[in-house]
Amino acid sequence: MRRPPHWAQAAGSLLIALAIAAVAIAVVTAHFGPTASAELEAREERMEQRLEFREERREQREEAAEERAESGGNSGPG
Amino acid sequence: MEHLIEDLTRGNVTEVKVVLASVVMALALYQPLLAAVAYGRVRLRLLEADPASWTHRAVGGTILVLTVLVAVACLSFYEFEDGGAHAVFGIALLAVLALKVLVVRMGGGLSRLLPYLGVLLLGLFTATWLSSAGDFLGVG
Repeated sequence: MRRPPHWAQAAGSLLIALAIAAVAIAVVTAHFGPTASAELEAREERMEQRLEFREERREQREEAAEERAESGGNSGPG
Repeated sequence: MEHLIEDLTRGNVTEVKVVLASVVMALALYQPLLAAVAYGRVRLRLLEADPASWTHRAVGGTILVLTVLVAVACLSFYEFEDGGAHAVFGIALLAVLALKVLVVRMGGGLSRLLPYLGVLLLGLFTATWLSSAGDFLGVG
């Protein structure tokens, strides 16, 4: 059987090296899962937004209750 | 330097370091096969000594660059605070790597040392990886 030319042999062995590197990256990255800090930061941001929204609604409810109490106080005997 | 590395890795310094170190480790395991073909110890139908030798050098150059990057990230970000066996293996690895580059450049009679330095390097790569990235991945 005739051997392939040297450049083809070198290219083939380099391709194997690239495949080895790609497999290593895939295996290690899969091992990390969604623990990358970018993902964690996004999660934290979503949670902060949710908390802020809740806080705003709570403040609005409190203000509304105060207004009701004030208006109720004015209409009473005095 | 610490901020530059944190910016480049977008805060994932450990993860990027583990990925790069694992790529280096995987490529380091491929090197003995290429060296064995280059020295004529193993004969393959599809790969002769000259192309194997060329690829061994090309992959070795890549390993060198990646190792220096990982070492810079390691030293500037973590310094020696975790120290221990990993720091000892890492320093020995860099020293033997530098020695091997020197021997390759000088050539001559010193070239006889290359297979021994190669085996020593593979052992140090394995020990350094196991004591850090392997440990992180639950292998070490």
